[in-house]
Amino acid sequence: MEKQATFSRKEQAAILKRLLRYLIPHKKAVVIALALLVLTVTGDVLGPYIIKIFLDDHVALGDFETKPILILAISYATIQILNVVISYLQLMKFQEIALKIIQQLRIDVFTKIHQLGMRYFDRVPAGSIVSRATNDTEAIKDMFVSVLISFVQAGFLIVGVYIAMFLMNPILALFALVLLPIVIYIIYLYRKYSSIVYMEMREKLSELNAKLAESLSGMSIVQAFRQEKRFNDEFDDINAKHFKAMMDNTKLNSLLLRPVVDLVYFAAIVLLLLYFGKTSLETAVEVGVVYAFITYINRFFEPINQVMERLAIFQQALVAASRVFILLDEEELEPAQQNKAGAITDGRIEFKDVTFSYDGQKDVLKNISFTVNPGETVALVGHTGSGKSSIINLLMRFYEFEKGDICIDGQSIKAFSQEELRRKLGLVLQDPFLFYGTIDSNIRLYNKELTDIDVEKAAEFVQADQFINTLPDKYKQKVTERGSTFSSGQRQLLAFARTIATNPKVLVLDEATAAIDTETEVAIQHSLEKMRKGRTTIAIAHRLSTIQDAEQILVLHQGEIKERGTHQELLAQQGLYYKMYLLQNGITSL
Amino acid sequence: MKVFRQLGWFFKERRREYFIGLLMLTLVAILQLVPPKVIGYTIDEIGDGTLTASSLTKWVGIIVVVAILMYIMRYYWRQMIFGSSNYLAKNLREKLFRHFTKMSPSFYQQRRVGDLMAHATNDISAVQQTAGGGVLTLFDSITTGTFVILAMAITIDWRLTLIALIPMPVMALLTNYYGKLLHERFRHAQAAFSDLNDKTQESISGMKVIKTFGQQQDDVADFTRLSNDVVEKNMRVAKIDSLFDPTISLVIGVSFFLSLGFGAKFITENAMTIGDLIAFTTYLGLLVWPMLAIGMLFNIVERGSASYDRIEQLLNEPVEIKDKTGAYNTRPKGDLSFHVDSFTFPGDATPALTNVHFDLKQGQTLGIVGKTGSGKTAILKLLLREFEGYTGHITYGDIRIDDYKMLALREAIGYVPQDHFLFSSTIYKNIAFTNPQAAKEKVEHAATLAYIHDDILHFTDGYETIVGERGVSLSGGQKQRISIARALMMEPELLILDDSLSAVDAKTEEAILQALKASRENETTIITSHRLSAIQHAHIIIVMHEGTVVEKGTHEELMELRGRYYEMYELQQLEQQVEKGGM
Repeated sequence: MEKQATFSRKEQAAILKRLLRYLIPHKKAVVIALALLVLTVTGDVLGPYIIKIFLDDHVALGDFETKPILILAISYATIQILNVVISYLQLMKFQEIALKIIQQLRIDVFTKIHQLGMRYFDRVPAGSIVSRATNDTEAIKDMFVSVLISFVQAGFLIVGVYIAMFLMNPILALFALVLLPIVIYIIYLYRKYSSIVYMEMREKLSELNAKLAESLSGMSIVQAFRQEKRFNDEFDDINAKHFKAMMDNTKLNSLLLRPVVDLVYFAAIVLLLLYFGKTSLETAVEVGVVYAFITYINRFFEPINQVMERLAIFQQALVAASRVFILLDEEELEPAQQNKAGAITDGRIEFKDVTFSYDGQKDVLKNISFTVNPGETVALVGHTGSGKSSIINLLMRFYEFEKGDICIDGQSIKAFSQEELRRKLGLVLQDPFLFYGTIDSNIRLYNKELTDIDVEKAAEFVQADQFINTLPDKYKQKVTERGSTFSSGQRQLLAFARTIATNPKVLVLDEATAAIDTETEVAIQHSLEKMRKGRTTIAIAHRLSTIQDAEQILVLHQGEIKERGTHQELLAQQGLYYKMYLLQNGITSL
Repeated sequence: MKVFRQLGWFFKERRREYFIGLLMLTLVAILQLVPPKVIGYTIDEIGDGTLTASSLTKWVGIIVVVAILMYIMRYYWRQMIFGSSNYLAKNLREKLFRHFTKMSPSFYQQRRVGDLMAHATNDISAVQQTAGGGVLTLFDSITTGTFVILAMAITIDWRLTLIALIPMPVMALLTNYYGKLLHERFRHAQAAFSDLNDKTQESISGMKVIKTFGQQQDDVADFTRLSNDVVEKNMRVAKIDSLFDPTISLVIGVSFFLSLGFGAKFITENAMTIGDLIAFTTYLGLLVWPMLAIGMLFNIVERGSASYDRIEQLLNEPVEIKDKTGAYNTRPKGDLSFHVDSFTFPGDATPALTNVHFDLKQGQTLGIVGKTGSGKTAILKLLLREFEGYTGHITYGDIRIDDYKMLALREAIGYVPQDHFLFSSTIYKNIAFTNPQAAKEKVEHAATLAYIHDDILHFTDGYETIVGERGVSLSGGQKQRISIARALMMEPELLILDDSLSAVDAKTEEAILQALKASRENETTIITSHRLSAIQHAHIIIVMHEGTVVEKGTHEELMELRGRYYEMYELQQLEQQVEKGGM
C-alpha cells in the first residue's frame, strides 16, 4: 500500500488538478477569501512602513509634534485591529471552503459506493472502502487546511513583501530576489530527500506493525514451538531498522528544516547590513528603511518555515486522493435496468435455463429452470455451496447474469425499473441486519410514507409486537450496533416486520441458520405462514420442517436441481432429500 | 510533570545525550540574543554616521559566526534530544515485545490484539513525544524566555521591558483558554467523524438490505445529514483555531505599540538609541514562542503521562506460568497419565473439566470426540501447560508436567492447533518453524508425511511460496496440512492434533493417518476430532460431554455400547452421503 506512494510529476499534477476542481462550486467564497487575504497582507506590509515613517521623520529627527504622531499612531492601531479581524475572517473562510469541499468529496464517494455492484464488495474488504470515505478524505482535508492555505498565504505574503521592498528601495529589493531561488532550491532539496526518507520510515513502521500484529495473533504458536527468542530477535531487527529510518528522518529535518532556513535568514540580514552599511559610508541612510527591510525579511521567512514543515502532509494527501479517485472511477457497477417493462401484478416467477458464475470460471448455477405460480411457495434446500443463495442473488439483481433469463409475469427482470423491483420484491436476509437507531426506524427504514400505525400493524402482523411491547421504550427503544441487545429470533421478527411494512408482491426468504430460542421459534413459524399467504414465495430452508407445505421443493446439489417435488413425493423417492430429512430429524423418527 | 519523574531512569541512562542537547539548547538561546543587538548597534552607527568599513566587517562577521554556530548547535541538539526520544521508542517497543512473548494465553484471552497494538504504537509515540518535544518545550521556553527578558532588561532598559511585558500574560491566558475550548470542541468533531465512519461501515455491511428496499438515495441523504454535522462541528473548531494567530498578533501588536511609544520617549530623553529600540522589538518577537510553548507543553505532558501509565501497567502484568526452582530440564518421554478432578478457566463460573481420567502408554494413540465446548480443547491446553490451577495431576514419564521446565516440556510436544495459523513467510520457513536452518530433505519429509508435498510442488514458487496474511491464499485443508508438517518437523514425543483434519477430505485424512501410524510407532499421539473417521483407529477413544468423560474404549467397544458414540457415528455416515449428493 505504501509502495504506490511515488507518483511522477505529471500524475501529481493530475491528482492536484482534479482536487482543485472541487473548488469551482465555491468560486465566490474563494474570491472573498482571497480578497480578505490581500487585505491582511496589505495590513502586514503597511505596519512596518508606518513605523519606518515614525522612526525616520520623528524619532530620528527628534520631532515630536503631537498631531502627525497621533495620526500615525491611530492609523497604525486601526490597521492592526482591522488586520486582526480580517485575518480571522479570512482564516475562517478558508477553513469553511476546505470543509465544504471535503464534504462534497465524501458525499460523492458515498453515492458511488451505493452504485457499486455486490461483486465489488466481495472483492474489496469493507474496512478499506470505509477508509476511502473517511480517513482518506480526512487526509485530503488536512492538506487543504494546513498545506494549501499556508501555501497561498505564503505566496501572497511574499509577493506583498517584495512589492513593499520595491517601493522603498528597488535596488535592494532586486538583491533580495536572490533569496527566492535559494529558498526554492532548499524546498526542492528537502522535498526530494524527505519523500525518500519519509516513505522509508512509513514503510518500516508498517513492517514493524505487521510483525507485531502477526506475532500477537500467533503468540500461542510461537510459544508452543518455543520460538520466543527467534521472534524477539526478528522483532529487534525490524525495530532497529525502523529506528535507523527515524534517525535518518530526524537528521534530515535537523539539516534541512528550520535550522537551514534560519541560516538563509541570517545571510539575508548580512546582505542587508552590508548594503546599508556600504551606502551609509557614502550617503546618509534613513534608519527607518533599514528597520522596515529587516522586518520584511523576518516576515518573508515565517511562512516558508510553515510550508516546509507541512510538506509531508501534502505527500500523504496525494496518496489518499489517488486512492479516493480510484474508487470514484470504479467501473464494477450494479446491474443496469432497462426500465421498459410495466408493473409487477401477479408475481409469477420463471427461471429459464439460468447458468451463472461469480468468477467467470466455475459455474455455481447450471441450467436452472423452474416456475413459481402466483401465491405459491417454492423452497430451495441443499448443502452449503449448492447454489441456493446464488438463485436469490440473481433474482434480487445483486449480480448480473448472462446465460438464461429470469422472468416475472412473463417479462425479463432486466426490463423492470429498479423502483418497481424493489417495491414488489421483499427479501428477508439470513442475517437480519439491524441498523443503529430505534425499533421504529428499523421497521420503517427511510420510508416516509409509512405512518406510526402502519409500523405497528406490520409488527403486529409478524407478532413482533409481543416482545416490542415489553421493552421500556417500546417502538422508540434504542437499537445499538447490529442490534446486539436483541436475540437472533427477535432480530428476525423485526426483519419480517420491515419487509411486511412495504407489502411486497413476491417474498424472498433466506432462513436464519443461527440458533433461535424456542420462544421466538414458534412466533417465527407462525409469522412466516401468515406472510406467505397470498404472496409468491421463494424460500431457502435450512430446517426442512419449516417448508413441508411448500407447493414445490427444489433440492440443489453443486449448482444443479437434483430433485424436485412436494415433501411427500420427495420422501417417497428416498433420495437426497430423504437423507437430509433423516439427518435433521434423527434416524429413529421414520 | 509526573511523567518526567517516571522517565527519570531513561534520562539517567541517556544523561550524556540530554546534557549535551540541553547545553546546546541553552547556548542557542543565548546566541540568538546576539544578532538583534548587533543589528541595533549597526543601525545606531549608520544613524550617527560613525559606521566604518572595519566596524561593518566586525558586525557582519559576528552575525556570520553566530549564524553558523547556531546552525551547528541546532543540528546537534535535535540529534541529541529527538534522537534520544527515538531511542526511547525503540527501547519501549523492545521491552513490550519481550513481555508479550512471556504472557500466557489467559492474558491474550482478556485482551484484543487491536488494543495491544494501540499500546505498542499510539502510547509509545505519545511517550516519545514527551521525551522529545516535551523536554524541548519545557526547557527551551524557560531558557529562551528568561534570557530574552534578561537581555531586554539588562542590556536595553528595564522600564521598557516591564511595559512591553504587560500584555504578554494576557496572551498566555488566552491561548491556554482557547486550548481548553479547542480540546472540548475537537472531541465533538472527532465524535462526529466517528459517527460518519460508523455510518459508512454500517451502510456497507447492510448493503443488501439497502438495495433490497431501494433506499440508496435516502441513505445518501442520511449520510449528507451526518456530514453536515461533521462540517458544523469542525467549523466550531475552526472558530477557535482561527483565533490563535490573530490573538497573538494583537497582543504582540499592543506590546509593540507600547514599546514604540515609550521607546520613543526614552530615546528623546537619551536613555536609549534607535538601534536599541529595533533590537528590543526583535527580542519581543522571540518571546512569542515561549508563551505558546507553555500552553502546548501541558497537552503533550498530559498525553504522555497517561500513555506511560498504560505501558507500565502492561509491563507490570505478572508472568503467570513460571518454571519451578529445580525443575527438570530433560525432554519428557514415556507414559502419559491425565487425572484431573476439576478445572475452571480463569474468569469462568462453571468448570470446563470435571473428573477426566485417562492413561496413555508410550506409542499409543488417544482419540477425543465430543461437541464444541465439551472440553476437548481444555484437556489439550492443560497438557500444553497453557493454563494451570486444576485439581488432580498430570504426569509424563512419571513426573508431573509442572515439574519440567516449560521449554523442556514443549520441546516434546508437537501441537497442531484448531485455527491453523501460518506466518507471513515462505512455506519452507513455516514448516521449518522450529529450526529455520533445517535441511531440505527433512522439511520435504515432514511435508510428505503431512500429504502436502505434492500440493507445494504445484505452487509456482514451490517451497518458496509466501503464505499467511500477505501471501497467497491457501485452502483450509492446505493450511492444516502445513501446520501438521510444522509439528512433525520437531519429531515430537507427543503429537497433538486438535481437530486439525477437519478441512481435508476423507482420502487425504486416511493417507495422513496411515503415514503417522507408520512413522510414529514409538511415539504418542492425541487426536481430537469432530469427524469420527479420524480417531476410529485410536487405541483409546474418550467421548467428552459437558466437561466430563461419558464413554471410553476402542471403536468396536463403543459401537457395541450403542450410546452417544454409536449415534454420532450413524449420523456422520448419513451426513457424508448428503454431502456427496445422496450417493
